[in-house]
Amino acid sequence: MRKLIAFFERFRVFLFFAFLQILALSMYITFLSFPRFQFLTSANAISGQLYSWEHDLTKHFNLSDENSKLQDENIALQAQLPKSLFRLNNGIIKINDSIYRQQYEYIPGEVINSTVTKRNNYFTINIGEKHGVKRLMGVYSPNGVVGVIHSTSEHYSIVKSVLTKDINIDVTIEPIGLFGLLKWDGRHPTRGNIAGISNDLKIPRGSKVLTRGGSGIFPKGLMVGTVDAVYAIEGEALWDVVITYSEEYRTLQRIYVIKNLMLEEQQQIEKGIPEDKEER
Amino acid sequence: MNNALKISLRFFLFWIMQVLVFNQLEFGFGIHLMIYPLFVMLLPFDIGIFPLLLLGFGLGISIDAFSDTFGLHASSLLMMAYFRPIIFKFFAQREGYDPLKEPSLFDMGTRWYTLVYGSLLFIHHFWFFLIEIFRINELFWMLQNTVLSIVFSYSVSLLILTLISRKSRSK
Repeated sequence: MRKLIAFFERFRVFLFFAFLQILALSMYITFLSFPRFQFLTSANAISGQLYSWEHDLTKHFNLSDENSKLQDENIALQAQLPKSLFRLNNGIIKINDSIYRQQYEYIPGEVINSTVTKRNNYFTINIGEKHGVKRLMGVYSPNGVVGVIHSTSEHYSIVKSVLTKDINIDVTIEPIGLFGLLKWDGRHPTRGNIAGISNDLKIPRGSKVLTRGGSGIFPKGLMVGTVDAVYAIEGEALWDVVITYSEEYRTLQRIYVIKNLMLEEQQQIEKGIPEDKEER
Repeated sequence: MNNALKISLRFFLFWIMQVLVFNQLEFGFGIHLMIYPLFVMLLPFDIGIFPLLLLGFGLGISIDAFSDTFGLHASSLLMMAYFRPIIFKFFAQREGYDPLKEPSLFDMGTRWYTLVYGSLLFIHHFWFFLIEIFRINELFWMLQNTVLSIVFSYSVSLLILTLISRKSRSK
């Protein structure tokens, strides 16, 4: 017994070393075949958090590579888009959904001619009757409302843009929910006006202006612009609301024509509203 | 700075450098850059053997937990820690070691540092690749890994040493 204790005394360093070494090696070898201690892998909470921080820090290093990768992907995807193909058919984009009934269809097109400096500016787009465009359809771009189809030919259409005096698109100011009509004073192609806003409500600067969707030309909630300034009109209980358009019409190219499949139904039922009569 | 604080600071420093920086670098040719053996190397001369082994094992296992090696680093750093007193004794000067000095390039001279740290790095790296590869027919690959990694680890360790050791001397 004394010899055993003496042995341990003599070799205690080596035994301690051997113990730790066997621990480490057995951990290593068992882990290779069967992971037992999850906390010892980089999947644990601390190291996962650490590595996500590290990723937040280092992900920008590859930004240019990532960008060119994304660009390549975009090129591949764009090659499949309707606009890249020679349009034998008219290229209407349809969304099929079993819960919602399709109300609006979008026909893609391009602005091929436009002016912004005149008092009434009309845009020419490269789609027409052949593609399903009809008079009084709405036109919008991803950034904002563009206008209403004014007249059509077989292959082209004229858009009465929001840069015309009496465009009169019905809009709402969010989040208040006030309704008004969009006008243009004919001076600056980035600014418009909203008429018919009663001045008893405060309108914060920067409020969003969206389409109301009342006339069935535009869906509800398309972006028009943001409120820039509010002036009082002398002698009237109305605000003169100046808005900044969210779309830059001077550089506008890609647009969509909105086709309302339920427009006829809406017009049919609105015919039933009796005309206002004077009370007796 | 007191010794325990310095050691814990360095422990953390080497751990975070190895995990976040040097484990992420890929050189190819089997080069695996490991700078944390320098931590064991720079522990004081008069540290006991048990704290030495425990610190080596602890740093190794902390790195393992963050690099999915499950004990490989711990095993090789423990190996190195075990051999440290033996190597130190082998290369000892006639008058022995001054416990006030640090086992670094600046206190002990280039020749001593190169020999001692080179031997310890060889033990560490050789054990590391031996366990990791563990195939007799890939002995050449194993040796290539070891030698190339030692060259790289030694050079980078030298840079880190000039950063942390000069600073601790100037206090």
